[in-house]
Parts: sequence; structure tokens; C-alpha cells
Amino acid sequence: MSATPDDELPPDATVAAKLSAYLRGGGIITPLITVVVAFLFGGLVVLATGHNPISTYGAIFDGTGLNWLFPWTSSTEREIAALNLQQTLLRTAPLILAGLAVAFAFRCGLFNIGGQGQYIVGSILALWIGVSFENMPAFLHILLAIIGGALAGAVWAGIAGALKAVAGTNEVISTIMLNWIAIWIGVWLFNRGGPLQNTNPQQQDVPVSDDIVEGAKLPVFWGDPILQGLHIGIFIALAAVLVFWVILHRTVLGYEVRAVGYNPDAAAAAGISVARNYIVVMAICGAFAGLAGVIDVLGWQFRIATNDIRINDVGFTAIAVALLGRNTAIGVVFSALLFGALITGTSVRNLDPTIFEPALATNLTLVIQGLVVLLVSTDLLVVYLWRLRRRRLSSRKAVAA
Amino acid sequence: MTPKRAGWAGAALAVLAFFVAVPPLMLRSPVFPVLLGLIAIGCGAWAYARGEKRLGGAAIAGAAFGIAGGVASTMSGEANLERVVVWGALFAATLRYATPLLFGALGGLFSERSGVINIALEGMMLVGAFFGAWGADVTGSWLLGIVIAVVAGALFAAIHAIFSVSLRADQIVSGAALNLLAIGITGYLYVDIYGTAGTPDDLPQVPDISLPIESIPFFGDVFGQLNLLVWLGLIMVPLTWLLVFRTPLGLRLRSAGENPLAAETAGLSVVRVRYLAVMTSGALAALGGAFLSIGFVNSFTQNMTAGRGFIALAALIFGRWRPWGALAATLLFGFGSALAQRLPVFSESGAVLFQALPYVLTLIAVTGVVGRSIPPAALGRPLAKS
Amino acid sequence: MTEVPALELRRITKRFGTLVANDAVDFELRRGEIHALLGENGAGKSTLMNVLYGLHQPDEGEILLDGKPVEINSPREAIALGIGMVHQHFMLVPVMTVAENLVLGAEPRSGPLLDYKSAAERVRELSRRYGLAVDPDARVEDLGVGSQQRVEILRALFRGAKVLVLDEPTAVLTAQEAQDLFKVLRGLTEQGTSVVFISHKLNEVLDIADRVTVLRRGEKIDTVPTEGATERSLARLMVGRDVLLRVEKPEHRPGEPLLRVEDLSARDDRGLPAVRGVTFEVRAGEIVGLAGVDANGQSELIETIVGLRKPDAGTVTIDGRDVTHLGPRETLAAGISHIAEDRHRRGLVLEFDLAENIGLRFYRNMAKMGWLSPRKLAAKARGLLREFDVRGGDADTRAGSLSGGNQQKVVIARELNADPKVIIAAQPTRGLDVGAIEFVHRRLVEERDAGRGVLLVSLELEEIRSLSDRVLVMYEGEIVAELPPSSSEEDFGMAMTGGKVEVS
Repeated sequence: MSATPDDELPPDATVAAKLSAYLRGGGIITPLITVVVAFLFGGLVVLATGHNPISTYGAIFDGTGLNWLFPWTSSTEREIAALNLQQTLLRTAPLILAGLAVAFAFRCGLFNIGGQGQYIVGSILALWIGVSFENMPAFLHILLAIIGGALAGAVWAGIAGALKAVAGTNEVISTIMLNWIAIWIGVWLFNRGGPLQNTNPQQQDVPVSDDIVEGAKLPVFWGDPILQGLHIGIFIALAAVLVFWVILHRTVLGYEVRAVGYNPDAAAAAGISVARNYIVVMAICGAFAGLAGVIDVLGWQFRIATNDIRINDVGFTAIAVALLGRNTAIGVVFSALLFGALITGTSVRNLDPTIFEPALATNLTLVIQGLVVLLVSTDLLVVYLWRLRRRRLSSRKAVAA
Repeated sequence: MTPKRAGWAGAALAVLAFFVAVPPLMLRSPVFPVLLGLIAIGCGAWAYARGEKRLGGAAIAGAAFGIAGGVASTMSGEANLERVVVWGALFAATLRYATPLLFGALGGLFSERSGVINIALEGMMLVGAFFGAWGADVTGSWLLGIVIAVVAGALFAAIHAIFSVSLRADQIVSGAALNLLAIGITGYLYVDIYGTAGTPDDLPQVPDISLPIESIPFFGDVFGQLNLLVWLGLIMVPLTWLLVFRTPLGLRLRSAGENPLAAETAGLSVVRVRYLAVMTSGALAALGGAFLSIGFVNSFTQNMTAGRGFIALAALIFGRWRPWGALAATLLFGFGSALAQRLPVFSESGAVLFQALPYVLTLIAVTGVVGRSIPPAALGRPLAKS
Repeated sequence: MTEVPALELRRITKRFGTLVANDAVDFELRRGEIHALLGENGAGKSTLMNVLYGLHQPDEGEILLDGKPVEINSPREAIALGIGMVHQHFMLVPVMTVAENLVLGAEPRSGPLLDYKSAAERVRELSRRYGLAVDPDARVEDLGVGSQQRVEILRALFRGAKVLVLDEPTAVLTAQEAQDLFKVLRGLTEQGTSVVFISHKLNEVLDIADRVTVLRRGEKIDTVPTEGATERSLARLMVGRDVLLRVEKPEHRPGEPLLRVEDLSARDDRGLPAVRGVTFEVRAGEIVGLAGVDANGQSELIETIVGLRKPDAGTVTIDGRDVTHLGPRETLAAGISHIAEDRHRRGLVLEFDLAENIGLRFYRNMAKMGWLSPRKLAAKARGLLREFDVRGGDADTRAGSLSGGNQQKVVIARELNADPKVIIAAQPTRGLDVGAIEFVHRRLVEERDAGRGVLLVSLELEEIRSLSDRVLVMYEGEIVAELPPSSSEEDFGMAMTGGKVEVS
């Protein structure tokens, strides 16, 4: 065993290889500790600006609805908790999908920061399909929107993949540029005078789209649709997780993706087309992220305003989600749940402004996200655990000898 | 006629194709832009086929834009054209839009020449924007505002240095984290300190420098009334070139980025060089951000950098990690923004779409260039410990 | 009379995790002597000198310079103490000029600017004094390897090195250049410099050194004067037993040509011509050796043959089938196997387990409609791992945790199992211990006897001469000679440097 897991890696190891090494070295404990440390620092920020971190975190937790899962919660609390948990899961579902979009790219050695743009184009196409085709049966309508949104996202991400495959363009820059282009296209579409602005004569000075048809809305299975209950999008997200895992571990494509992600030179020498994989992988990622946009539009937004496009950040949160989850299927699910809970707990609806201002809390979650990603970028915690494990192993050997 | 000359001729003709349709020439027939553009494409294709791929490709792309722009101009109203294409004002605006990009790109140059990838220029710029505004507000002086912004940027960049250099973190992930942190921290402090009212209207501003050249046509319009920081940015270009390519310090900087082991065995501390380089990049990017908040817009809003840090990075790559190349690239992107700003004259809703122009330009630029652009050899590789 | 030694290392111990690279090693360097440090790959020679140069910190032991104990925490301190080191992989900045490289860290100034003129002047002055000819304005990346090494030596001397350490300096030199180097070294010792010469080449050590210290597996075995020593006696110290310096192999009977390369030309990554009109063939049942000094186009030639590099002209034919413009996938399928020279880069995916690594060659055939079963991969791997006696793990072990020798076995197992017609083995025994080397050599001969064609590319002339049935010499991208393996080392040396050789 080497001194640090890094000793086994060449200096130019891909992100996929590094994270895999950290995963081996630190197991599930490291992400947990990472979260704890990030929250600690967040608490320090809260403290430094004159607020009480404990009551702040408590208030945030109350808003997440996670206490619904605890058996000791009283039935009256349970009612409110149920509402909150539905909200949390509403937020978690798109995060899972967007997180898969980032994770899958990482597994191929690509850095997909373009989840936001892919999400936007997916939601735009889903909206357009949902607004049109008024007399289509619900099942077909939803299916069409899902396929359309996923395709839109796939094409958007595929641009970056193709640019990388053909011209070697760095995907970090190209996906970020595509993000901003998508945002501006979206703002243009729904702006005053834009082609997709609503057709309501009384709302012509409001930059918002038409509502989608009733038949296109995702059915709600828990809670009251009027109160924004939980829709079946969560199942779509979980199905996507399964698809993610199966592709990676049971298909030829996944095998090639992992090979390219760990060592593109060896993959090329074995005859794997690295360029083709880049395009296919980005397209699949775009489909995941586009799907996230679809379930948000069809599930609870039902319309898009230019403001929505500007402030939405599912695609960015997804980066932290994927990294914290070490780009694995299960990791992404739990990570998405964590951040989904954070978002719900800090929302204007759920956070008591007398304890902590929601606008502040939103920025606090950004700080926590940033800290999580920062801690994931090194192997500090992993090295510490690695050395602990080695010491335990060698002391056991000494006892046996 | 060498391929190189043909390529440059193609590029020049491409520009001409657009130029003839706008004031002062303002020829109204679309024949002119199309004809010139086609000749430009011909030159470009000829150059491309003979090995000048980059120049030829640029000529062809430029010709496409030239034809499009030229023909669109012939179809627009003359009055509108005269309002939009005021070359003097356009170039002045170009310089203003280019300045934050230039500071960012020069900052990135220091960091990347020392071997540390820096995609957190966006975050550093944002930090500078906030602390510049807050500093100017709290001290009542724009100068101290700038100082505070620069110090804040350097300290923020130190985090990137610690993680990337000492802890050998993945530099892109670390940079992405810093961007998130910057938005969060500046947003948090902004809401906490300024709440819903926003920054005060009487925020101390960095002054413009008035030159007594009003009467000189064109140059008077462009250079007569530029902000101090714009001039500072322009001066930084030759200064950076001198420092990086003609001084011992620059030699050491570049050696750390090309072959850090060579630098180490020459007796240098690569760690120290990289720390200094990264913190310098933070300071410069923050200066660009400060220009945004207290030199240009005169306020701070959340996430006001809006991706400029990434455009700056693209400008750096496009400019092949050289100061003059970065200047050329930032001027190009700045021109795109300046044009986009004046286009609402034509169509209100269409104008929104033109806001995407700088990002489209960047995308095209980075795509066409990276194949030949050679970064410092050791970029992104942390120094192995023993 | 006992003079204080210029340098003394006492009981130096250095551990990397559980690996003990240096185990209580003693080393003593007298002033003005050339002292060779001899040992196999992995014996600990480089580690010991890196400790001396401050790149590593010793866990135990002390260093004395001129009798005084010193602590060396970084190369900066080593340089200040007068220790200079010329590494195997040059520590030069390729895009900078010789003068810039030389003065880095001690630059002459004129005001705030770099005084380039006086830097260049210093270079010429040193060049004259020590007899090392270099052009101060040349960019290092444009220089040949021999010149680059001269720059490295000058760099050390520029900083006032009194102790000069050279790590495997002749690995990249031709025989003639090596002789030039030896002349320079003798001149330096006459001027009072003391030299440590790390090598694993027995004949050179006997040629140049005054004394030899032999290391084996991290321990110092003995220090002997070179006078009176022989290659055999040194080899025994190095390895611990009488070493077979030649491989036993039966007569060969070559058949049809299986690999035919005709007038092949290709460029390297910088766009410069690397392969120039190469023509040769490998027949069934023969081992063709490709000899040459490093970086003369061998890597690019192999890459072009297997489809990893686009040729500019010429053809590659495998068993009659033209594969010139096919990519690696089709080329490999045409019946060629490639044992890559860098198993960590091209040979294996270290993060994959052994089953997945072996699968790199076979996964397409083992998949059904895009579906790939890990169980199938593991089953195939287990059989191969047993057949090739791979130690250190089984099908679900991560490739990165195996030793170098076992990793190479996995690569060989995979490539040979693909039932190729032609095998390209590039540096197949690099970094392996003696047992693994014997295994690889035996296997290659077996493949040759089974009727396959083997192209052996190696920098170790010994290996080429002992395995090959005929030897081609590559120099600056061209095949300049074909020699029988029994030719003398001088003949090979001449050919490898572009000289003309008479073949009788």
C-alpha cells in the first residue's frame, strides 16, 4: 500500500480516476464528513454575521419535511411535514436527473458544466409541446414532451461534445457559453413580443408564456395537486438512476465510457473511438438534464417566465450533487436529497424570516455547495482515513507476528 | 501571392464586406457585401487549402458574418444605421466593455503561465465587484474601494492557491467551487448589508480622464473621455509583456509553468511562484470587477459579472497566453458587446437575442483556435510531493 | 594518508510506505574520483541520489560534505552546497533557450530586466572552459539529446558544483557520444570535481569508473575498485547469482511475410517528420529486432503501424490485407497485437480490474446486442491469469495494485490470447525484475516458434541481440542497416549513429 492513494495515480490522472481512488480510500465516510465540515463552515459564516447558527439550521431543517420520516413525530406535525417533504422531493427529482447529467460526463472524463443550458432547452421544448396539441390524450402528450425535452437537451449538449470530438474544444468553456446562449434564447422567447409569449390579451406586458394544457401536467400521487403535491416525476428520476447504472456497468457503451474516463490513451490503443464516445456521452448527459427541465415544467411550474430562466440554478447545484455523490448512482440520489432538502428548508415559504432571512439562506446554500465542491477536490480527508486504516492494518500484523 | 497573404486579404475583404454597408459609406445595394464576401471566402478557401488553416478559416467565418451583417444593414433604415454605427462611440464602448475582460485575461495569464489552471476568474471578478462597491461606500473613496477590491481578490485567490498548489486538488473542480463560493459569499453579504434597497446611488465612482482632444475626429470620440481604469488596463498590457517575457521574475514564472521540476532543480520554489501568480490573478480579476461596479455601472447587483470571467478565460486562450493576443481577443469580444448594446434600435425583442452575441463569438473563437493553441506545458499538473 | 572524502552518506534509509527503497546504505566519494553506482532497476540508485539532492528526505542516516554533516531539504540547498545533478529525464525547459535555462534562478540583471547578453556570454565562457560545445541561443527543444545533456552538465557546473551526479547518462546516447561524455568527465575530475555515475551497464562502468558501489534491492552489497573486476563479477554482485546473459533458442525457419511495411512516412506530434520511407517485413516464425537510440522514430513507427497515427505516405500490410488507413480497431482485428512500451499509459487502465483490462481486447465479441456481462469477462480473465501465472490478485483486483512485472504479464496475456499473426513488443521488459524478464523472453520465443511474427523494439541492445533472428537499425526515422545479431557492439553503435557498416 502506498503512502497516499495519490501515489498510485499518475500526475495527469483524470478526474474520474482521482475520484475513484478517493472513493476506494475513503468509502462512504468521506462524503459524510465533507458535508459535516461544509455545514460547520457555513455555520461559522452565519455566526460571523451576527446570527445564530443552531437556530438557523434548526429552522431550515424544520422546513425540509425530513422529520416526516421519523416515527416519533406527532400527527399534527406530520401533516405539515408531509407537505414539506413533498416539496423537498419535488426539488430532489430534477436534481437527481441533473446530477446524473454531470456524473455521467465525469465518468467519461468530461466536465459538464452545461447542465443549466441543457435543462433550459429541455424545459422550453416541453413547454412548447405542453402548450400545443390541446386535444392529445394525456399519456401521449406527456410522453411526447418527455421525448422532446430529452432530445432538445441531448442536442444542446451534443454541440459541446461534437466540438470537443472534432476540434478539441475544451468542454468547460463551450458548455458555459452554451449555458448563457440558452438563457438568452429563453429570455428572448418569453419576453414581451417574443414568439412564445403568452396569448392572453390581458397579460401582454408580462414576459411569461402560456400555461400548459391540463392533459400535459404530470399526475400527482401524494398530496393535493392544488397545493403542489408530489408528482410522478420522482419515479422518472429514479428510473433514470437505474438506466444510468445499467448503462455504465452492463453495456458496451458504459464499458467504453469508463475506459475513456480513466485512461483515454489506453482506450484509444484498444481501438475505442474516444471522439465518438465524447459525443454520445454528452448527448446522454444532455438528455438527463433536459429531462430535469421537462419534469419541472410539466410537474409544478406549468409555465415559464423570463425571470424563471434567469434565476434557475438546478444545473449548477447538480455539480455539487454529482461530486459529493462521487459520480455514482446511489451517491447522486442521496446527494440530491440533501440539496433538495436544503433548498426547500431555505425557501421563502418555509423559512421563518424572523430567524433567518430567506434571501440570505439561499446564498448560504450556495456557500455550502461551494465548500462541498472545494473539499471534494482534494483528498485531505481521504488521506487521513487512509493513514488510519494503514496504521490499524500494520498494528494488526505486528500483533500476529 | 502566398497563402498567408491570401488569408489576410480574405479577412480584410470580409471586414470590408460589412464596412461598405454601414456609415460612412452606407452603400445600399446588397450586391456589394455579397460580392466582397464571396471574394473573401475564395481567398480564405485558397489559403486554407494551402495550409493556412487558421487564417483561412477565420477569413471564411468572417466573410459569412460580413455578408450577413452587410446585407442586414442594406435592409435596415438609414436613420437607424446612422444611430447604431457611430464608429467613435462604438469603439469607445468597445474599450469599456473590453476592460473587465482584459483585467481578467491578464490575471489568468499570470496564473496559467505558472502552471495553475484558473477557471475561477469569474468568482474573483465578482469578489472584486462587490468589495469595490462596498469598500468605496464604507470609506467614501473610490481609490480605497479599488484597494480593498484588489486585496479581497488576492485573498480569495489564495484559497485557490492553497487547494490547487499545496493540497494538489483538481484545479478545475477547485475553480468551479470558488465560483460557487463567490456568488454565495458576495450575495450573502450583499443581502445582509444592503438588503432590498441595493447599493446607494451616490457610490463613489472611479473618475474618467478627459483628454483635450475633442476636436480630433474619431480619436477624440474614442479616447477623449475614458475611465481611469480603462487606461490602466491598456497600460497593463505592455507592462505585463515586459514583466513576463523580459525580467528574471517572468523567466521563473514561465519555467514553473513549462517544467516545474526544472525550476525546482534550478533552486526555485515552484510553490512560492505559483502562490504569487495565483494571487496576482485574483488581484487583477478583482480590479476588472471593481471597474464593473464602481467604474461602469455604478452599483452592485448579485452575480453581476454574468459570465465575463469565462469570456476573459476564452480571450486568454484565444490570445495564446500572450498579453497582446489577449488584448486583441478582448477587443473583439468587447466590440461584440458594444454592438449588441446598440442594436435595440432595430428591434426591441430581437435585441435580447443579441445579448448572446459575445458568448457565441467566444464559442466560435475557442473552437477554431484550440487545435493550435499550445498552453504552458505543465498547466494543470500539481508538483509531486515526496 | 587518509583524505577527508568529498562526500559521505552514512546509513541512509528511505521508505515509501511499506517499500524500503534504501536500507542503511553507506556511500563514500573521494575527491577527484569517478565512482559508479551500479544496480538493477529498482535497486535504489536514483532514490539515494535524490536524497542527496534534497528531492527526498531520508528517514534515517546522515550526509557529510567534506567531513561536515549537512542537512539538505531541497534542491536549492543542495545546489548551494555544491552538489549538481544531471537527471535521466532532463530538467530543462524545452521552449526556452540554452542561456535562459542555464541562468534560471541566478539571472544576471540590468536594472529590472533580464540581461540576456551577459547570460549568453557566460554560456560561451563555460563552454570553452569545460570543453562542452553548446549554442546559447538555441532552443532546448530543437537540440539533440547529446547536446541537451551537455547543457544539463553546464547548468550544474554554472552553479559551482564540486560533486556532480549523473543518473544513467548514456541511456540516451550513442556509443560515440558516450565516449565524448567520458572524455569530458575525465577532464572535470582533473579540475577537482568528483563524479558519481549511476548506471546499470556493466561495460561502461568498467570503462569510466575508478570504483563501483553495487546496490541490490535497496541494500549496499559492496564497493570494489574497477581494476581487476569483470563484467561477470559485477553481474554476480548485482543480481546475486550467475546470470545467464544469453537466451537459449532453437533455430528458426521463417515463412511467409506477415507484416509488410513499405515506404512508410509519418510525422510526430510537432509536425516534424519522424518516420521517413521505412520499408521492412516480418515473416512468420521470426523475431525481428528494431534497434536504435531513443527518440529516433521507433514510437511513431509503431503508432503508425497499429493505426494510432496517420501516415503521410506508404503502406502497411498484415497477412496480405492493407491496413494503412485503418484505425486501431480494424488494424488490431486484422491480426496484430501490440504490447505497448508504456503499460501505464497505453497498456492498461489502472482503475479497471484485471477482468476489465483483459476485456479491452475482447469485449466487443463478448457482448450481446450491446449488453456486457461482468461474469463473462471475469471467467475469461481467470483462465488467462492462471495460464500466465499472474500473482498479486485475481479477476476483480484493481490493475493498479499489481507489481510492474505482473501488470506486464496481464498485458502480454491479453495480447497473445487474441491469436495474432504479428506481435509488436515495444520495450516489453522495461522496469521488470530478472524473473519477469526471463518469462517475457521465453514467451516471445515460444510465439515465434508457433509461427507468429514478432517485431521487438527495444532500447536494450543486449535484449535485441539475444532474442532477434535479424536486427534492423533505425536512425532519424529511417532503417539504415540490417545486421545479424551476432554483429559487434561497435558495428551496432556505428549504425545507430548513422555511420556506414560493412556487413560480411
